[in-house]
Amino acid sequence: MSVVVAQEKKPLIRFDIKKCAFCKICELSCSKYHYKKFGDSISRITIIRKGPLMFKCHICTRCEKRFCITACPTKALSYKGGNIVVDPKLCNSCGDCVKACPFHGIKLHPETKLPIICDLCDGDPSCVKDCPKGALSLVWLPEVRK
Amino acid sequence: MKYSGYKGRVLAINLTTKKTSTIEVTDEFARKYIGGNGFAVRYLFDMVDPRMDAFDVTNVVAMMTGPFQGINSPTAGKYYMATKSPLTNGYFDSVSGGFIGAQIKYAGYDGFLITGKADKPTYLFVEDGKVEFRPAEKLWGKLTGETQEMIKEEVGDPNLCVSAIGPAGENLVRYACVITEYRAAGRGGVGAVLGSKKLKAIAVRGSGTNEVADPEAYEAWMRWYKEEAKKVPGIAVGLPTYGTPALVASIGKMLGAMGSYNHQTEFFQNWENISGERLKKEFWDKDTACPACPIACSKVFSAKSGKWKGAISEGPEYETIYSLGSMCGIDDLGAIIKGDSLCDEWGMDTVTYGVMVSFLMEAYEKGLITKENTDGVEFKFGNDDAMIAYIEKTAKREGIGNLMAEGSLRAARVIGGGSERFAIQVKGLEIPGHSARALRGMALGYSTATRGGSHHDPRPTGEYAGASDRKAVEGKAAWVIGTQQMTTIGDSLVNCHFLERLLGFTLTQKWVDMINPVTGFGYTLEELTTVAERILDLERSFNVRTGIRRKDDTLPRRFLEEPIPEGPSQGMHTDEPTLNRMLDEFYALKGWDPKTGVPTREKLVRMGLEDVADCLIKSGISC
Repeated sequence: MSVVVAQEKKPLIRFDIKKCAFCKICELSCSKYHYKKFGDSISRITIIRKGPLMFKCHICTRCEKRFCITACPTKALSYKGGNIVVDPKLCNSCGDCVKACPFHGIKLHPETKLPIICDLCDGDPSCVKDCPKGALSLVWLPEVRK
Repeated sequence: MKYSGYKGRVLAINLTTKKTSTIEVTDEFARKYIGGNGFAVRYLFDMVDPRMDAFDVTNVVAMMTGPFQGINSPTAGKYYMATKSPLTNGYFDSVSGGFIGAQIKYAGYDGFLITGKADKPTYLFVEDGKVEFRPAEKLWGKLTGETQEMIKEEVGDPNLCVSAIGPAGENLVRYACVITEYRAAGRGGVGAVLGSKKLKAIAVRGSGTNEVADPEAYEAWMRWYKEEAKKVPGIAVGLPTYGTPALVASIGKMLGAMGSYNHQTEFFQNWENISGERLKKEFWDKDTACPACPIACSKVFSAKSGKWKGAISEGPEYETIYSLGSMCGIDDLGAIIKGDSLCDEWGMDTVTYGVMVSFLMEAYEKGLITKENTDGVEFKFGNDDAMIAYIEKTAKREGIGNLMAEGSLRAARVIGGGSERFAIQVKGLEIPGHSARALRGMALGYSTATRGGSHHDPRPTGEYAGASDRKAVEGKAAWVIGTQQMTTIGDSLVNCHFLERLLGFTLTQKWVDMINPVTGFGYTLEELTTVAERILDLERSFNVRTGIRRKDDTLPRRFLEEPIPEGPSQGMHTDEPTLNRMLDEFYALKGWDPKTGVPTREKLVRMGLEDVADCLIKSGISC
């Protein structure tokens, strides 16, 4: 049975498909914030287009099932303060978390080979700030625990 | 490399031998030619024998980026393609929106040079410095959308960037385009040259990055851009709300300068039916953007009712509303949306196709062709069924579609009967929806443009905005030269020309201030202007070697001899003596021989192109 833990809230980057124009500024903002470089392979958000009107946003949803944490064979992933956190000492770069995430919210960094996951840019997500169409917003939802 | 925005190498891909090699991009080369347009014209001048046919195995297709691809600079989400055109026989470049430009950078290259010819249908898969020549037999004959989807599926990456040709390119339709997502490197037949090389598509992904030279100065420029962009109505309101179709009202109605019925008039009575306002109100689904662009001028439109209910397309742009709409006497936006999407899917330029259809409609109404030539179809103005049906037939070269695949100039030569007079083209390239009669700059611009009838060299925007008096002859040569320099730099950075409203219709210090933080060139306005002139002189030298001279720098007879018959611009046109006067002034300012239109040796040497002057002389051309 699900119970709402009133004190705990979880963050979500909400995606409005109607407003998104597929400009990918969010991806470039993300990579710039985290690495001072521009590149979609080091962005923690990805926008996919399938057909003229069908857009999808791939990003960590802080889902209640935490598929990535369950899948990690070395216990390198944990949930802290609303984010999935990677312990680089424990991670063996196997990529099981990438495969386990049904939301395609995890990538391995092409150089360090460590998982890169949305961390909300210290609470003020750059993708949300820079989206010219207002298609992304940060909302806090009640945490649901089983 | 000392400068930023570059990967320092271009990949040469030989389809015949299936071998690749890298060409180093040096600091000196980057500073001298910037990228995109500049890189491509230098490589093509050195590699292509301009006397050879465009479909010859020796022709080269350049797919290039500039220093701005892959960063978040607004309007730089593009890529650049160039080749010797099968439509104009001259140097031709076509720029399109698409994230593939950024991916070329991320894969570690500044661009590709594609040569040779594959023995079987092939597509290229480039990933981080690794190139695969993959079989494309099962993609051959497929539409551009399906081709992209199939390649994404095969590679297993829905985010993969693919540029593809359609059946029109395979069948060497002379104005076949290259499609990436839903945007087109539309004009001049780059897609047909790829088709002649049996190259169906190019797919690229890279895990690398791109950086700027001076991040602080770049951020300051970005803040400046955001503030200034709010003050420019076109960028702040017009383009984001309506996209380029907003021009139908301002050009079609206010100016009466939107070619209609194959330019028998330029005032389309039913302009309101095809206006941007109506598109937005009744057909709009959503805004879309080229990568990294906050303007999002592109729109997805669909027909919610009527004869063409269900038709959906990203677009049409203003040029397509002109070519498939007012030019063909069609005022049903549903048909225009349908035609736009079919041209993209079959892979051909909407502007040339529409002008080609309108040319045939006039020839039909004048009795120069009959039902016998058109498989029984009544090719009359306003026949939207014919306009739609012949997209596929042209792509497949069926029936009269085989002639339509050749473009209006070649078709006029076959049809005869004086029809060349109303073939609306310059140097073989059909003229888009910016009047050569109502805008003096466009008369001179189309005549002298490397590409021929292209609205990107020069631009009409400054004359619409009143920055140059559209009726003036005095000073027009200098104006046109200035706008051509601007577009050339835009195409070398591979940035959208819509920046002109913000940075200047001609080169200004603002252009310099945008380039320096990214590249670290430390350009002055003078040096940037020299770079532009160097690139333009190289383009002209390429074309000179194909035989192009002053005699080719002209307009369709209709424009020289018939004034606009009605509407707000009634009576306007540029007659031959006036055009000649402007041309004299143009060549004098350019440092080109006024008799022949060939760049003088003195000018070429001044631009650092002594080797080009030597090459012209060796080819028997005095300069």
